[in-house]
Amino acid sequence: MHIFVVEDEPVIRRELKILLENALYQVTASESFEEVPVQVQQARPDLVLLDVNLPGESGFDICTGIRAQMEVPVIFLTSRTDAMDELTGILKGGDDYITKPYQAPLLLARIGAVLKRTAGIKEKEVLRLSHKGAVLDISCCSLFFQGQDIELTKNEMKLLHLLFLRAGEFVPRMDLIEYLWENQIFIDDNTLSVHVARIREKMRTIGIQDFIETKRGMGYRV
Amino acid sequence: MTVKNFLKDRCLLLILHGVCMCLLAAFLRLTGYEAANTGLILIFWTLILLVWLGTVYIQRKAYFLEAGQILEKTDQRYLLGELLPDSFRLEDKLYREMIRRSNKSVIERIRQIEEEQKDYKEYIESWVHEVKAPITSISLICENGRRRWGKEGASEAFGTACLENQRLENYVDMVLYYARSEEVYKDYLIQETNLQEAAYEVLEKNRLLLIQNQVRAEVSAEEMVYTDRKWIVFILNQLLLNSVKYRSERPILRIGAQKGKNGVTLVLEDNGTGIRQEELSRIFEKGFTGSNGRNHERATGMGLYLCRKLCGRLGIGIRAESEYGRGTKIFLEFPISNYIKR
Repeated sequence: MHIFVVEDEPVIRRELKILLENALYQVTASESFEEVPVQVQQARPDLVLLDVNLPGESGFDICTGIRAQMEVPVIFLTSRTDAMDELTGILKGGDDYITKPYQAPLLLARIGAVLKRTAGIKEKEVLRLSHKGAVLDISCCSLFFQGQDIELTKNEMKLLHLLFLRAGEFVPRMDLIEYLWENQIFIDDNTLSVHVARIREKMRTIGIQDFIETKRGMGYRV
Repeated sequence: MTVKNFLKDRCLLLILHGVCMCLLAAFLRLTGYEAANTGLILIFWTLILLVWLGTVYIQRKAYFLEAGQILEKTDQRYLLGELLPDSFRLEDKLYREMIRRSNKSVIERIRQIEEEQKDYKEYIESWVHEVKAPITSISLICENGRRRWGKEGASEAFGTACLENQRLENYVDMVLYYARSEEVYKDYLIQETNLQEAAYEVLEKNRLLLIQNQVRAEVSAEEMVYTDRKWIVFILNQLLLNSVKYRSERPILRIGAQKGKNGVTLVLEDNGTGIRQEELSRIFEKGFTGSNGRNHERATGMGLYLCRKLCGRLGIGIRAESEYGRGTKIFLEFPISNYIKR
């Protein structure tokens, strides 16, 4: 996925680029703000992140210019929070409108959502993950092991999901909790321990022993 | 203006008449005028005086009644000088002129202050937007830093910086909303809002702070209301920050919503310090910090005040229930208007 960034603040531009590249997007960040529509057309991105307050032409006008030439989704980024501006943004053909200061996970989620909606891309989410003979099935929320299976709750499912995704390494407790919060499971440290204990208990019933390792002060590993 | 007051005001005139009557009676008696005729003259004199006083009283009363009514009816009372009814009396004219001149200077002063205030507000708004750029930079740098240095100790430092940056962001937002709370119509976007999503947004936004403080949260607020989403998120954010600030050992936050006959009620419940019964009625006052606030150095008494103010503008009812030492419930009541119901 290729994202074209139009942002005049050099620091924000640099960090945004790093953030998006870490999230495995290909990023082109424009450094001049003349003829932006032409630049966009040459770059042929899948998505444009467009700052509203730019030197010279405003982001809204640029959006109109881009729209006149091609059908690429546009997300406005702005520090202005007026309702009128938001309306203008949508009317000018923006697909989303995000106000600064944005939080990284939120920004990535909204970008993902727009890409999914406009390009009709189905996120290539792996629906089955396997590790050491245990298979985690995300679509039916279960864990399979040697022909037996156990059902998992949403919380347990998400927890195991991250552990499976990062199989082999110790996942810090903080990372796990943050991942769960990003998925609308708002738990604390103690509750995490309770969930892990419950998963272990469930696993024992189908004969999986010592699957989740604990390392004090580090986290969990599968 | 009562009769008594009126007569008291005219007492010098009355005394003068009285003295004159006595002098005349004495003079007439000395010159040998008949007592009965003297009495008659005095009676007529008194009658004429009474009629005169009565007429003046009725006139003055009517005049001031009218002026009083004008004063009651106008919402800008400093315009009275322009609105006073005409009167042939010299004194009234002179007073009217003076009031008019005095009011004119008041009006000029008000205009000037309004102008200054408008300039100041506009500057604050633009300042807020400017300061958001560096806040965004810092937020992104911290986020990237946390990811890049995740396995080394630096991640914690970036996390702390991130939290402090968020506090800064909240303070900046408070300034913006304070400046705007006076004229909400300028920044209003009423739309169908899912309370659950608004609650999620606030929780996710503050997840670092909440996780660090070992907060657990439960949300079941799947209700739709018509309101301005951004304002609601801001209000919820203030309430949530309060809950975190006055938390207990094992903090739990519950956000729920119920649909009633007259609207939807959103409840934010915590198990924190709670509010003393005698202070409960004052928590939404500006600058009120209470005994909880005084024990926390960072209470400014602005958060809840702003919440109430914004709620007022949006037509949302806000109230609090609390048991000291057990927790606090804040209720936001969204009325349902019949004509926007589909």
